[in-house]
Amino acid sequence: MWRYIVRRLLQTIPVVLGSTLLIYALVFLQPGDPIVALFGEKPVSEAARAQLEAQYNLDQPFLIQWLLFLKGALVGDFGISYSGQPVADLIARTLPVTFQLAFMAMIIEAILGVIAGFYAGIRRGKIFDSTMLIVSLIVIAIPIFVLGFALQLIFGVQLQWVPPTVGSNTTFTNLLLPAVVLGLVSFAYVLRLTRTSVIENLTADHVRTARAHGVSDSLVNRRHVLRNSLIPVVTFLGADLGTLMAGAVVTEGIFNINGIGNLAYQAILRGENPTVVSVVTIMVLIYVVASLLVDLLYAALDPRIRYA
Amino acid sequence: MQSKRMFKYVAALSIAALAFTACGGGEGEEAGGTAEGEAVIHAHGTEPQNPLIPTNTNEVGGGHIVDQIFAGLVSYNTDGSTELEVAESIESEDNLTWTITLKDGWTFSDGSPVTANSFVDAWNYGADPENAQLSAYFFNPIEGTDQEGNSTEGDTLSGLEVIDDLTFEVTLKEPAADFPDRLGYSAYFPLPEVAFEDMEAFGEKPISNGPYVLEEWNHDVEAVLSKNPDYEGNRTPENDGLVFKFYTDPDAAYTDIQSGVLDITYQVPPSAISTFQDDASVQAFAEPGSVNATITIPNYLEHFEDGEEGQLRRAAISKAIDREAITSTIFDDTRTPSTDFSSPLMPDYSEDIEGAEVLEFDAEEAQELWAQADEINEFTGTFELSYNADGAGNREWVEAVTNQLRENLEIDVEPNAFATFAEFRELITNREIDTAFRTGWQPDYPSVYNYIAPVFGTGAGANDGDYSNPDFDELLSQAASAEDDGQRAEILADAQAILMEDLPAIPLWNQDAVAIAAEGVEGVQVNWQNQPDYYLVTK
Repeated sequence: MWRYIVRRLLQTIPVVLGSTLLIYALVFLQPGDPIVALFGEKPVSEAARAQLEAQYNLDQPFLIQWLLFLKGALVGDFGISYSGQPVADLIARTLPVTFQLAFMAMIIEAILGVIAGFYAGIRRGKIFDSTMLIVSLIVIAIPIFVLGFALQLIFGVQLQWVPPTVGSNTTFTNLLLPAVVLGLVSFAYVLRLTRTSVIENLTADHVRTARAHGVSDSLVNRRHVLRNSLIPVVTFLGADLGTLMAGAVVTEGIFNINGIGNLAYQAILRGENPTVVSVVTIMVLIYVVASLLVDLLYAALDPRIRYA
Repeated sequence: MQSKRMFKYVAALSIAALAFTACGGGEGEEAGGTAEGEAVIHAHGTEPQNPLIPTNTNEVGGGHIVDQIFAGLVSYNTDGSTELEVAESIESEDNLTWTITLKDGWTFSDGSPVTANSFVDAWNYGADPENAQLSAYFFNPIEGTDQEGNSTEGDTLSGLEVIDDLTFEVTLKEPAADFPDRLGYSAYFPLPEVAFEDMEAFGEKPISNGPYVLEEWNHDVEAVLSKNPDYEGNRTPENDGLVFKFYTDPDAAYTDIQSGVLDITYQVPPSAISTFQDDASVQAFAEPGSVNATITIPNYLEHFEDGEEGQLRRAAISKAIDREAITSTIFDDTRTPSTDFSSPLMPDYSEDIEGAEVLEFDAEEAQELWAQADEINEFTGTFELSYNADGAGNREWVEAVTNQLRENLEIDVEPNAFATFAEFRELITNREIDTAFRTGWQPDYPSVYNYIAPVFGTGAGANDGDYSNPDFDELLSQAASAEDDGQRAEILADAQAILMEDLPAIPLWNQDAVAIAAEGVEGVQVNWQNQPDYYLVTK
């Protein structure tokens, strides 16, 4: 087990190296001169340009830029943003917010999705099942920004149950609506995944055997059907944590949340390599850790799976 | 059968949801609220992209804050007129050497006095290329700087000399009669001595001499400004303080205005552009503004070189554009068609400029002019208009203009999009763009001169189309050394008449100055810089 974990963690090193190199190359290849953009429509003198290029390592070839970035990143120094703040500070400020948001969204989608999917599955073809299928279809079909604006208008502006935007107050109640919006699409997937999986497991051999032994319906459903049905759902949720964090850009914009998605988006627009690459590196690490946790959870859910 | 039952179920659910919604309507509680008291105004801001150093602030996020916390030699009134603020007098015999005397008694918020050195040191710092300040360009008129405004002689400019604590002398490269009018721009603000000890720390929490002082800059969230008790200038705040709440999406700010969490915004989100003036939950303010939009056709493009053919084609293109139609249908009347190269807001704006009828739509005449040019040299190929697609609304109007040109001139016209402003500007700066392109100007100080001299003067910094006309340059230098404002306005009108003939850029429209305020907010006045005068806003 421990050897497995160590091996998996070691695998992340080439992943991080490769992905930062790739992102660095992409940002480097992005057309447009960030220095010209910085000055807007005013002319830039050669002396001032040289000064700024030296400050942000822009005068170096891109492999050197990348190595300098890695060197700094190893000791927690991700460089300086164009606004003169350490990128590490920017991330430290925004990451917890996005993490809180993504975590709340995941809890919401996991609990609601699994419960609804489970009942839809064991009552296949009944009213509840059909309703859930329609609801999930609608949720998947509507783009997230439409859902976001609609719910913001209803609950934030008209009913005023929650503040329409979050801003500085990242409390549980303030983040609830954005978390629902963020988790809604995944909720539909979790629901459908759980439902299909439950239906499959209802006819599995071990379930039939358990029933034949006279074990009560509810116990069979909980112990044997639900637990086994969760394996694909857990895989999905693990991968989804990364998607939720990276994909929060739209939701963060609508609800004015100062998260890492917004940070990355602004940095891409301004061509701020250090910020973009740092954020992506963090994202990669989160993906890697999340998928490791998923793999370990398999063992807990399915006794047949053991890591050595 | 089953589907029918299901329909009933869904219908019942929807009715229940509606009833639920209706019940909840009455008991909505006040969201947000102000902890600091009623008279603090919450305004829409964006996270400053640079440290809050006046010479390094060239975008609205930082600009709105810097303008509120600093006071310069002069200040601007809402209508664009200039008034002395920290300066007691700004005088010159020859428009070349200016003697500036300061009022006694001005202090920074740390108690240190505002002296001649506060200005001279700040300007020297701003011009020094080693500091790579983004607004260095503003020092370009002063002796000792290069074309981009950076010092050519190290860390002090030869054109700045301190006479005594309250007096200093500025020597310019060329006469400039409107020099005092320029001095209200943020690049010319003073800095306290303590700033030079650690500029980085200063940029995080500036010590200033303006109507407000910065209490706290909570990154990505808000900037809290409180009234400066020692301020005795022209812009005495009517409110008890300002909080700039930062948004990345103007839609979110608009929503907050609707629900009363935010008091005022200067930006209309594209989604609300056609509705905000009729939205009963907000107050809308829209007046002609100062920012203009133009199309520049560089003179190195084939068929658009200096000379008769180029002139005819430019005039034809200008007359083939129905500005009225675009401003009303695409911009819902939040733009006003141009009548000159500047804005009606400028104190020296002139209504009757010779040749200004070239800006009026006339498809027949446009075709005729184009045909005349074709007789000189037949036009083949495609006329392309480039723009940056990351600017809101650019695509819509560029497509409308190209459609009109295609229809009215019966030639091939295509829009040409660039993904980012950075890419677009780089090509323009390096003269590598081989199409016409969108340009625009936001004045740095209220004068027609500022719309034309930096943009169309030979070799000027923002002369993207490399326009050069000795007659025009001559009028510019005459305007710069004019005796009084009336004479200057006349010369500038003559200079614009030359531009109307040559059309180095084709004026399209002026962006209206817009503000949206929550219900109950009073004193909203949008100034010539297209921003609300925040110090006047109350609620």
